[in-house]
Parts: sequence; C-alpha cells; structure tokens
Amino acid sequence: MKKSILGLLVILSMIAVACGGSSLEGEEVFITGALVGNDAAGFQENFDSFTEETGIIVSFQGSDNFEQEIQIQMESGDTPDIALFPQPGGVVDAAKRGYLVALEDVGVDLDEYKASFSEYIVGLGTVDGVAYGGAHAFNLKSIIWYQPAEFEARGYSVPETWDEMIALADQIVSEGMNPFCFGMESEGASGWLATDWMEDIMLRTGEGTVTYDKWVNHEIPFNDPVVKNAATLLSQIMHTEGYVVGGTDAIVSTYFGNAQDPMFSKDANGNPGCFMHRQASFITSFWPEEAIAGAGTETTVFPFPAMDDGLPKAALGGGDMFAVFTEGNEAVNAVVEYMLSPTFFEAAAQRPDNSRIYGHVEFDSSLYSKDITRVLADAITGALAENAFRFDASDLMPPEVGAGSFWKEMMNLAVEGPGYIDTALNNIENSWP
Amino acid sequence: MKKYSQQEKLFNFGISFLALGAFPLVWFLSQAILFRELTDLISRNMLVVIGLLVGSSFVFLLFSGMERLIKLAPRERRDSLEARMFAGPSLFMIGLFLFYPAIRTIYLSFKDRYGTSFVGLENYVWSFNDTEMLVTLRNQIIWLVFVVFFTLFFGLIVGWLTDRLNKGEAFFKSIVFMPMAISAVGASAIFKFIYEYRPPPLTQIGILNGIRVSAGENCYNNRVIDGSLKDYADSSCNRAIGWLQQRDLSNFQIGQNLESASWLDNVLVNLPLNTVLLLVIMIWAYTGFAAVVFSAGIKSIPTDIMEAGQIDGASELKIFVSIVVPYIKSTIIVVGTYMVITVLKAFDIVYVTTRGDLETNLLAVKMLDEFSKYRNIGRSSTVAVLIFICVIPIIIGNTYREKENSSI
Repeated sequence: MKKSILGLLVILSMIAVACGGSSLEGEEVFITGALVGNDAAGFQENFDSFTEETGIIVSFQGSDNFEQEIQIQMESGDTPDIALFPQPGGVVDAAKRGYLVALEDVGVDLDEYKASFSEYIVGLGTVDGVAYGGAHAFNLKSIIWYQPAEFEARGYSVPETWDEMIALADQIVSEGMNPFCFGMESEGASGWLATDWMEDIMLRTGEGTVTYDKWVNHEIPFNDPVVKNAATLLSQIMHTEGYVVGGTDAIVSTYFGNAQDPMFSKDANGNPGCFMHRQASFITSFWPEEAIAGAGTETTVFPFPAMDDGLPKAALGGGDMFAVFTEGNEAVNAVVEYMLSPTFFEAAAQRPDNSRIYGHVEFDSSLYSKDITRVLADAITGALAENAFRFDASDLMPPEVGAGSFWKEMMNLAVEGPGYIDTALNNIENSWP
Repeated sequence: MKKYSQQEKLFNFGISFLALGAFPLVWFLSQAILFRELTDLISRNMLVVIGLLVGSSFVFLLFSGMERLIKLAPRERRDSLEARMFAGPSLFMIGLFLFYPAIRTIYLSFKDRYGTSFVGLENYVWSFNDTEMLVTLRNQIIWLVFVVFFTLFFGLIVGWLTDRLNKGEAFFKSIVFMPMAISAVGASAIFKFIYEYRPPPLTQIGILNGIRVSAGENCYNNRVIDGSLKDYADSSCNRAIGWLQQRDLSNFQIGQNLESASWLDNVLVNLPLNTVLLLVIMIWAYTGFAAVVFSAGIKSIPTDIMEAGQIDGASELKIFVSIVVPYIKSTIIVVGTYMVITVLKAFDIVYVTTRGDLETNLLAVKMLDEFSKYRNIGRSSTVAVLIFICVIPIIIGNTYREKENSSI
C-alpha cells in the first residue's frame, strides 16, 4: 500500500515536471484581501478561465481582519504575492514603507493602464511618481435610494437640486412624516456615512473637484469656509427637527446596514419610516431579504442632487486597489496583467449577488447581472470621462484623520448639534499630522 | 560537601550548557528552519502531518539523547541536570516569546510611527495629552474601580448567602456561575441585543427599548391589536434610546433634573452611561467566579468560630463583617488581583459592542487601533507599555504577599 502511494507520487511529480517545461503550469499565486462571502467567491471565480488558459493556480484568501493581518505580515516579511487593499490609502502607506513592487517592474504598461482606468485612479496608488496600486472594482456613493411608488402616490418628484431636496424634505415633515434615513454606527468605523455626505457636498460646492482635491491633500485647512459650509449643510440634514427618522439617536445608534430598514417598513398610518437614504451601491446586500429583489425597480436611486451652478456632474466612489509584493515572478506578472485586462471581472459581474462595478473603461457593462448595476456603472464611467469622479476623501486622508478624527468628530457633531461645527472642524484640523 | 575534580566540573558545565543553551537552540532552530523551507514546497495539510510526526519524534530523540548524556554524569548530579534539561526549553521559549517581545515593545515605544527613528518621550507625552487617550485612560479607571469593586461585592454577597441556604446551594451557585461559562464575546453579543436600538417605525427588539417604548397609553411596540397596528411613533410615547451611544445622562429626565446643581450632581450628569452599561457585562460575567471562590473560602472557616460568634449574640451582619471577611481576606485579595489584571486586559467586550466609539474605548482596544487602524507602531507600543506599567505594582505586591505568607 505504502509503496503504491509512493509510486503514484513519483509518477505524478514526473508528469508535473514533464508538463511544466517553460510554461507557468502549476505555478501558484496567493492573493489576500478584505473581501469575504459572495464578493470573495466572485473574485475567485474571475480566475477560473485564467487558470484554465495558463495553468497558473490563483488562490484568494479573504479576511474580515485583513487590515490588521497585512500589517503583521508586512512586519514579519510573510506577505502574500498580491494584496487587495480595501482603500488606496493602504497601498500608499505600504509603498512608502518600501514593501511594494512598482507596477512597471511587474510589466504593466502605465500608459495603457492610465488609458483604461483614467489618470486620476492611477494617481491614487502613486507615490513619488511611481505607480504601485492596481485599480479594481468600485462602488458608487453619490446616490440616494428611494421608492418611486411611494413618491408617485404622494405626488413627490425626484429632486434634481439641493434646494429641491430640502423643499421636498420640508413638505414631507409638514405632512407628518420623516424624509431621511440616516444611520452611521459601524463598529469602530462609525461616522463614515457623515464623512461621505460631507464629501458629496464638497464635490458640488465651491470649485467642485478642485477644492475637493485641495481639501484631501490638506492644501486648504479643514476649517476653511468651504468645508464649514459643507458641514453646515450636513448639519441641516442631521439636525433639522423631523428630517431624520428617529433623530439623533437613530443617526448615531443605527448600524449603517440597517439604516434603510425604516423605508421598507410601514407605521400605523401606512407611511414608510423614511423616503430618502443616501448610501453607496453596496447597501443592497444589507437589505432585508424581501427588499433585495426590488433593487432597481421597487427601490431605486436618483443621483445626489446638484448644488452650486456650473460644476460637472460629479460622482463619489470607493473601492479596492491591489498591490504587488513579489518581484520577478513570471506567474505573478501574468496575474497582474490579467487583473488589469478588460475581461477580468466577467465572472464576478455575472453573479446574481454582485453589486461591485469594475473600473475598466472597455469592460462590457451588459454583463452585469442587475440593471441597477449597469446604471451605476455608466454613472461612474461618465464621471470618469469628465474627470469628475473622486475617491472617498476619508480613505485618502492620513489614517489619523480619515479613519480617526474625521469619523469621530462627525459622530460628536451628530450628538452635539449645529453649535459644535466649529469645534469639530478645528479638532480635525489640529489632528492632521 | 564533596569536592569535584576539574574534569568533573567541566563535564557538569558542559552538560548544563547543553541543557540550557545549546539543546533548546538546536531544538527550536532546527524545526524553524525545517518548516520554513518546507512551507513553500508542500501543501499545508501535508505540513501538518509532517509537523506532527517529525516535530514530536525530533523532540523525543533530543530528549533521549540528552538523557544518555546525563547518565554519564555522576549520580548525585543527575537530578539537577535533568531538571535543567526539562527547564531549559521552557525558559528558552519564555525568553523568546515573552521577554524578547516585551523588551522590544518598550524599545519601540520610543520610536516613530514606522518604528524607524527615535522620538524620545514624544509618544508618552502624546498619551497624556491626546483627548482620546485621556478619555481611554478615564474609562480604564472607571472600569477598574467599578468592575473590581462590584464583582467582589456581589461575589461576597452571593457566596455568603448561598452558604446560608439549607438546600439548593449548588443550584443557585451554578446559576450565578453560568455566565463564566459563556465567552466574553458571547456575553457581549447577548448584551448588545439587550441594548439594541432600531429606528422607528421598526419594532424594538432590544429589551430595554422594548420596555421603554411600550410604556404609556396607546403605546405598543408594533403589536397588532384588534386587527390594527399599534406602534410607538405617537409623540406621547417614549422615544427609543441608543443606549451604547449615551455619553452622559442629558437625554434622560433624571439628567435634566440634576442639571445646574452641586458638583456631585454634575458628576452624575456626566456619568458616561455607555461605559457603565458595558462594564456591567463584565461584572455580570465575573460575579459567579468570585462567588464560587469566596464560597469555598467561607466553607473553610471553622464552625466553632462562627458558633462562638453566634453564642456571643453577634448579628449576621456582624459575623459577616468581623469573622467572614477577615478570615477570607487573602482570598479576596487574590480574586481582587485577578480582577484588576483581567480589567486591564479587557478587550473583547468593547471590541464586540462599540469598538471604542463615542468615548467607550479601553487601553487594550486602543493599542490595537493605533497599530492596525492608524498604523502607528510607536504609539501602539506606548499604550502596551502603559498597560504593562499598570500591572507591575500589582504583580510586585502579590509577590511580596506570597513571600510574607510563606514566611509565616
């Protein structure tokens, strides 16, 4: 028995050697990331056809604790070949500390990469002029979810400008209901929903993307009048009596994934708990089971309303960015090339549970399983073409601010009320390293 | 005492060196190198199998080899050499996995965020100036005072009362002890549901809010009565409250009543309700442990002392204060010490429930935040050192007490 197993092993290894030759057959590439569940399965499926073609075995390991684990792995030198960071900030940080391999060194043609994902996106993963971050899938944040049937039944129309939205909100309040759902509890990341609101407002006020970029890079202080204006407008939403269902308690205590539940639930008078919910495209996977089927039909989106005149239609988004740790490995280079190709996301896009949007301009958006994803994808590519697509600012700021004081002060602002705006902004400004 | 010849001394030294230095080093390095090389070559499952086989047989061979060497030593030296042989690897391991990291952490606490250049005491200055750190330290103190006091207090009461029961003592003790059997994560999850908040018009599933919003006329927590839905959105009904987000009592009637009065009222108004609600979880979880230990201590009190007290006409309270407590003093100190260290290490409750949001952070969670969230190795190490410093006096005190006890 033992002999036969040994013999089998010898034969198998001989076959492997014989097949190997000059190709990359049987080479293994290990990728880690923060994706779990359906998203992780979708990501892994993307490599099925690639493995069939090249023989390179790609294995993806997702973890809820990816951000901690990758820190430990970098410190100890036990890194994966490629890591899929949930934010570009992670890539920039790792690159600054010298752990990453530049994309050019793994055979990426930068011009082609810029052409297919836009210069802005490439710039997010660039440190001192060297590109380290590979673009991946995005989500769109500049959207407001609503239920057309509820709007129609009450004669409301979709607001196109901020003022129209405020007028609609006032009307809803005067009719004894609450216009907005708002919940930003998020287990250690609480507050990011308010930072998203701020970012969307920043993109649409002042000089739009210009002030936005200055703000992200700290070329204007955090207590600049433009930023204060944005905070004041956000406070108007959070603190106007009756605007948010449940008031302050709901804002700070509701888990962001459950924040939209009031929209799907009726009170004693048959009215929904709220009518509008500003949240990114991925929120659909947090909805109650019975609501998911109606995504894009029963419950759909309108773009975040325009604010100041003369600014292009901006879109705010977030998303993953991958980075390479292994240098001089042909198999890894082939995987990187594949990950930046227009066909990469096909398998994941066709999964019914997918809500992620692939950033490549040549990606065939008809492949998305849901209509709503297609609409959102077009909004992103449209904004990219106008150079009005911007990444989540809090993800780009230094972690002390973007994952620290900015979130924290937004929570404090929600609790303390509009009188706290100046203190909040000053505190954030002072915490900037 | 027998004189050893030069040769024997050398031999002894050689064996001791082998046992304490060379042997563990060979033992550790050989396996580290072997498995480092193997990880890239074979699959993980194979590695586990090989690890079990090779690792254990390697240890066996090394130990039996050492045993043979020791057999060559003079008989009267063998015992101490054997002891060294077995202690050697553990000392080595403690050094490698405890002392080395501890010293390196202290070293890193004087360095910058990447751990590359020295910044002197900057991190320590930060830790006593940063508002968030100050709140974290404040919480840690509140936790220490409340959790240690109340666990001891309730533990003593339960231990004493169950001891006075004629029957059912085991039953009641096991009920109080039950939370100990639940992991802290599980306990936190349970309490998270107790404190749960949902925005209206959703049904409140948290028991505290469920009770709160059902109080009052016409207020029902989304119950259907006579075919019509009764909710709590009526303005006469109580609002649901996000319990774990209340940093003070200003949202409550009691808080408003207390406002603008003496300093004591001021302290009460600013009572960080969320922190208190979180530390209740720990008290709940550890009271049973304290009660069981105290109950064992109370059982060891000789009955004649108690009877003497009763005959002298002392009340139950008097007996408790004057006989029971002094008699089990050392047990109370041991449990207290254990609780202090447990509270300083407390991590899971805050991590699972609020993750440190809205001024509920604790040092252990802050340490992790600084490391993984803000990617600041220096500050993270500083927080770790602070926890370490807090534990030192307790360890020293305990060691002294042990010495006193053993000298009696």
